[in-house]
Amino acid sequence: MKTKIIRKQDMTGLLNNLIQEYEVFAPVKRDDLVIFDRIGSDKDVSLEYTNSIKPPKEILFPQSETLFTCGSIGDAASIEVPVSEERPRLLFGIRPCDARSFLLLDKVFNEENHRDVYYLSRRNDMMVIAIGCIKPRATCFCTSVGGGPFSSQGSDLLLVDIGDDYIIQVITDKGSRLVEKVGVADAGENKLALMKMVIQEAELSMSPQIKTDGLKEKLDSAFDDPIWGSLTEKCLSCGICTYLCPSCYCFDIIDEVTDSKGERIRIWDSCQFPLFTLQASGSNPRPTNKERHRQRVMHKFSYCVDNYGQVSCVGCGRCVIECPVNLDIRQVLTTISNR
Amino acid sequence: MSELSGQIREAVRKLLRQKEVDLVIGFEAGTLPLHSTPCFIREQQEAERLIWNSFCDNNLAKYLGKRQEKIAIIAKSCDARAIVELIKEKQISREQVVIVGVPCHGMIDRRRAEAELEGKEILEAEENDGELTLKGNGFTKVLKRSDYLCYGCEVCFHRNPVIYDILIGDGVAEKATDQYSDIAEFEAKSTEERWRYISDQVSKCIRCYACRNACPLCYCRECFVDNTHPQWTGKTTDISDTMIFHLMRAFHLAGRCVGCGACERACPMKVDIRKLNRKLVSDVKVLFDYEAGISLDRTAPLATFKPDDPEGFMLNP
Amino acid sequence: MKRETNDWEPKIVAFLCNWCSYAGADLAGVSRIQYPTNIRIIRVPCSGRINPFFILSSLQHGADGVLVCGCHPGDCHYLTGNYNARRKFALLQSLLEYAGVEKGRVQFSWVSAAEGGRFAELVAGVTESIQALGPAEKLVKR
Repeated sequence: MKTKIIRKQDMTGLLNNLIQEYEVFAPVKRDDLVIFDRIGSDKDVSLEYTNSIKPPKEILFPQSETLFTCGSIGDAASIEVPVSEERPRLLFGIRPCDARSFLLLDKVFNEENHRDVYYLSRRNDMMVIAIGCIKPRATCFCTSVGGGPFSSQGSDLLLVDIGDDYIIQVITDKGSRLVEKVGVADAGENKLALMKMVIQEAELSMSPQIKTDGLKEKLDSAFDDPIWGSLTEKCLSCGICTYLCPSCYCFDIIDEVTDSKGERIRIWDSCQFPLFTLQASGSNPRPTNKERHRQRVMHKFSYCVDNYGQVSCVGCGRCVIECPVNLDIRQVLTTISNR
Repeated sequence: MSELSGQIREAVRKLLRQKEVDLVIGFEAGTLPLHSTPCFIREQQEAERLIWNSFCDNNLAKYLGKRQEKIAIIAKSCDARAIVELIKEKQISREQVVIVGVPCHGMIDRRRAEAELEGKEILEAEENDGELTLKGNGFTKVLKRSDYLCYGCEVCFHRNPVIYDILIGDGVAEKATDQYSDIAEFEAKSTEERWRYISDQVSKCIRCYACRNACPLCYCRECFVDNTHPQWTGKTTDISDTMIFHLMRAFHLAGRCVGCGACERACPMKVDIRKLNRKLVSDVKVLFDYEAGISLDRTAPLATFKPDDPEGFMLNP
Repeated sequence: MKRETNDWEPKIVAFLCNWCSYAGADLAGVSRIQYPTNIRIIRVPCSGRINPFFILSSLQHGADGVLVCGCHPGDCHYLTGNYNARRKFALLQSLLEYAGVEKGRVQFSWVSAAEGGRFAELVAGVTESIQALGPAEKLVKR
């Protein structure tokens, strides 16, 4: 792995250069929330954050997206598919957990037999520059689900904050081409030693929070366990845990029709809503919190293991922090593990 | 606060022992600092889990509907007000619920407390004698509890439960009547300024419906946003759709909203939902002299009328 | 799509109750009283039938204004429909104005079956005031 170095004060110039070539998305402050948004200059960026309130998945998979519009021209029907003529996208300053989530989304939207053109139009050529976490939160559990505060999975470049400089770890060829082009210096031995210390310190500050060994088997055998009922009795069935989850990808497709125009729109959907599984007959196979919340946990920690060979949780902790009734997925998993 | 927890446990044990109720809904310690979490107790020995502190901010009346068993609920004043409305709206019968009322000093708004720490993470929180002690890596900060209350609590002037079967602890002094000065202040802005503020707030909405689902009075079997025939408003994040969602949700709570603020606390995007709800609470008070959740006898304002109701808003009335 | 304002004419949705206001409009018609053609009448059984969603949906789908009419207090065919409606309307109008929807986009009035002339005057007045406000932009879904 190549490593480069850049002084923090030089990031400004670098970012403004990148803006010339890419649609750059970075953490920005809105009121007192940090979200990812398109930036017009380096001044918009707010890097003083642990993680954004919303995950960056909406940059690839927006909450509402028009798939096509239809209407008529004279006697003929017309269908129009929106074309994006945007420049390639660059995500700057996202966290390693969120960068990993893109690999999980790829498995769904870029699966061999089902390639989602809308997703891929943004995903292809997208550059990901992550910044490792020197101060993980107590609610972060990336190390329990195969990631880490400096995991490079899903990133093209990974920055390590070593005080006055960032060490740039060059992860992919695409990343390599970018650093060659902008021209940054190689990192010296002493800086690399500093980097190792920073990484080690962050990793040591994190303790395992869920037991993943044998978890899938436990979950599979506990499907009918009545404990699910008591664990989820307080759930409000809102969409916070799924909408704020970087790897939840369920969607619904709706048609909006006015007198002469129709629009087919893809919108986020959530397995926590009763409507998600409500059938036309009125029957609902997941009628209560118990079935709905169990579905979310099973999907992430069992079904995705079957389908994709890995759990589909990156341990960002957003659902833990934002759940209005403090229904903590770590506690749910631990309880099931101990059954 | 710990004495209150003890008294609650004692009362609950007795209720369960004497089989007066089958289920108790209260709070237990949460997994995060500054959080307590709803809990459901059916056995006497589980009563140990129950606690009472300044972090019991969920409105537990949410959990009362659609249950068959006899229930005891640990109710602070806003939970009790919501229960009054639920009884009036026939979502639960008075006989089905034993209300264990707890006079309330107001709940802590954890976001306000967090904002004080400039991004430093709170790992531990304790409260005693009107002080809130927050601890994290390399810092301890002591805050005056009363400066960090939830907004709904700051303007609450029914801090003692209006309805109860058992009262825990002593009553607390009531504050002066709410003058809705925040509403008047907002109304003083220009139409365009008001629109800009409300649409800016609403544009943050991610349609997760946590506001609706946390609200004790939002119990419709099918919410208007889930209705497809007719489809009252779209499901996208287009500002027109989200605006109509928020306006109509507020409107559906007119004369029913008890001002607990559960919607606002649940919102992950910090949408200023109370700006709309409180306007209606204030209008209902001014126009129809009604306050939600105070009396079991008074008819809901939109279920009745007076021949001489104000109609100055109409053209040539 | 921004509508041109120079030769722009407002579209106004008018919800009229079957027993008084619609009959009032009818009387204006049979009496050959001229009034602006900007209104699109939707007949409803009673002003009490008007769900606030009707009003918001109209604005969302491109109406520039909404006029709601019912029987005068005391005259309701269903005795109290208009009284109940009046409370809802008072709150709705106040809420919309508070949220920043221009005053006058949504208007309410009582029109009896005998008030054909008054109905025509009312429509003229409402049309003029909505014309002055210009096209409705705020709640329209594009």
